[in-house]
Amino acid sequence: MKFQIFRWKAIGPLLLFLAIIGILVWIFAEPVAKDTTEEASTELLGTQVDLGKLDLFPRQAAVDLRALQIADPFVLTRNLLEADEIHLKLNPAALAEKKIVIEQLNLQGMRFGTTRKTPARPQKGDGFAPQVYRSVQEWTNQFNVPLLSLTPIDTVRQLVLNPGQLTTVREAQALTARTDSIRQAMEQGFQQLKIAATVDSARQLAERLSATDPKKLGLDGTRQAIESVRQTLKAIGDAKQRVQGLERNVNGGVQLLGQGLRSLEQARAKDFAFARSLLKLPTFAAPDIGSAFFGKVSIERFKQALYWAELAQKYMPPGLLPHPAPGPKRLRAAGSTIEFPKVKEFPRFLLEQGRLDFSIGGGSVVHGNYAATVRGLTSTPALYGRPAVVSAHRRAAGSAIAAIDVDAVINHLSARTHDSANARLQGVKLPSFDLPGVPFRVAPGIGSSSLTFSLRNGGAELSGRWAIQSNQVSWVADTGSRQLNDLERVVFRVVSGLKELQVVAEVTGSVKAPKLAVSSNLDQAVSQRLKAVVGEEVAKAERLARAKVDSLVADKVEPLKKQIASVQGEATQRIQSEKKRLDEVEAQLNAELKRLTGGLAPGIELPKIKL
Amino acid sequence: MLALLKLIQSIIKTLHSAGTPGQVAAGMALGSALGLTPLMNLHNLVIFSFLVLLNVSFGGGMLGWMLFVPVGFLLDPIFDSFGLRLLTSASLRPLWTQWSNTPLLPYTNFNNTVVLGSFVAWLVLAIPIFFAARYGVAKYRATLGERVRQSRFYKAVTASQVYNWYKMFRP
Repeated sequence: MKFQIFRWKAIGPLLLFLAIIGILVWIFAEPVAKDTTEEASTELLGTQVDLGKLDLFPRQAAVDLRALQIADPFVLTRNLLEADEIHLKLNPAALAEKKIVIEQLNLQGMRFGTTRKTPARPQKGDGFAPQVYRSVQEWTNQFNVPLLSLTPIDTVRQLVLNPGQLTTVREAQALTARTDSIRQAMEQGFQQLKIAATVDSARQLAERLSATDPKKLGLDGTRQAIESVRQTLKAIGDAKQRVQGLERNVNGGVQLLGQGLRSLEQARAKDFAFARSLLKLPTFAAPDIGSAFFGKVSIERFKQALYWAELAQKYMPPGLLPHPAPGPKRLRAAGSTIEFPKVKEFPRFLLEQGRLDFSIGGGSVVHGNYAATVRGLTSTPALYGRPAVVSAHRRAAGSAIAAIDVDAVINHLSARTHDSANARLQGVKLPSFDLPGVPFRVAPGIGSSSLTFSLRNGGAELSGRWAIQSNQVSWVADTGSRQLNDLERVVFRVVSGLKELQVVAEVTGSVKAPKLAVSSNLDQAVSQRLKAVVGEEVAKAERLARAKVDSLVADKVEPLKKQIASVQGEATQRIQSEKKRLDEVEAQLNAELKRLTGGLAPGIELPKIKL
Repeated sequence: MLALLKLIQSIIKTLHSAGTPGQVAAGMALGSALGLTPLMNLHNLVIFSFLVLLNVSFGGGMLGWMLFVPVGFLLDPIFDSFGLRLLTSASLRPLWTQWSNTPLLPYTNFNNTVVLGSFVAWLVLAIPIFFAARYGVAKYRATLGERVRQSRFYKAVTASQVYNWYKMFRP
């Protein structure tokens, strides 16, 4: 019987099977694509993305997205962006390579900051975006923003401090232990020097030679004596080197102890601040007032900018090296999917050109002419070769928002990345906010706001500036829950008399170690008024706190200072003493050597002694 | 439930079908790809087409699939690390880069560590699976096969109408 490789009769059922798969794809492609787009975008951005409808146009290689909502990751009841319709024209050649290259994006019905009907789901899990969200939340905790305390002085409580609470006490105990260990190490070092044996033997040799007449020694005897002197001098040289080595070690240890003492002073300043905070004294240093009033709200602005910058760092890596990403979710393990970018080929994702030109008419608060462009937003900036640029502008005199100018540049062409964003809003109804620590709410009214934010070299250099300005500011005291106390009334009188508000917050440093400085036109006014009212009382309470801290740390720090001084003094004295002994015996030997060689016949050269 | 019943039916009949042990083993070797590698991938459509078009045992393919699904799940961590090693190998990078930028090839998801690792592992294991299955089927038919054929259970299964459909793919 002839063996057949192919089962020809099965071609029909196979074609039928493939046709069924084709029909299923045709029927379910759009809903599946919609769900996948929602899921992938939510995971990528770390915030809920909703899509009303998705239409595919395979012949035109185009996609229409309708009713797009992107939730604000930091305010779940608000949408960051809402768009009625987005038309995407894709590059078919790129699609064949499983790459998304958007040649043209048109967007209609765009709105910002709209309220959501249902709050967005908070993003959880170990995905990159939730991790960034958590790290940005933690980032805000680094800032030591003082709370404005306006507790009246007559309610100051008795200051009760436990020594264990004080950093100085803890550091002093640690430094005592360190001093003991340095002293022990030093003692061991002196014992290992073995200077006494070297000095004694050298001295004995010198004494023996001094009692000898070189003329009676003869040539051999003299040569032997010189050789003995040479060896002893070498031993002295070695001992001197050991002393120098020990001196270096001792100096290092002494320096460490000195640093420890200086850090004790810093710890004492911290403890004083801690004791002061227990007394809940009113703050009236001008920089503290600026930070207390507007620090929190400023950090919120920078936090949002940092979140998007961190996402850009991840999704737009510089260079052309293979780039791993988590694989697709499935029953089987997801693994990692690795991208292999290639010069002159399409990147995995590219938005070549997005233009948004549209108007909103009527009496709506958002009416006006909008113009926005997005260019070069890509997963592989090195392939595109130009920085990504986002800009949005709006002009509409007479509306609640008179002008918006947003410009952002994401430059990840090389490892020296630079992301910068600049947003300016003029004639904007600025959102009101509560002041932390006090029952006041400030409504800045119509004014201007600007935010500049820059992140270089993957977060190594951070700089941001947020400013608001308004001359229609109004203040509301929340007296519903309790009456204002005297100090709060003083402050409220000061601030409510001001109709102008200028706040500037600046963040500098790096992402890991940011520094925040906030100033406002209120700082000096509030500070001076508070100082006039309660300055003397506060100074008295501060003296009390300082005295309390000093009394608790004195019995730990003062003996330690003496102990450290004793270690330093003893070490220096012993080193000098050992050096002196060695120098003396060396001089003695050199004198004997000179005497020995003086009896030799002229012309006889002695071996050179290298020390 | 019906699908499961059909599957059991086809598997039992495979072991007693007119197909040679070699045809059953070839089907199992092909079907093991469906179990060892993540199912929803383009290469599995090709494997399935081979299973249907080639004169191998379709039931054997289903049996191979069923047997190797748990093995695939168990070996996923190994496939992941194996695939990662292949994809990050400097000497193979030009090949992966070329494939990544060739139309249609990226749809095979070869650049996923589990897909590539499991597929290469299947390529390596296919021949041993074939020989082991051929030996096992021959041994089964020579020892237990006749007794099972005489059992009521076997007769009940083969009497089903589904068997008629199955016969179309019988080698």
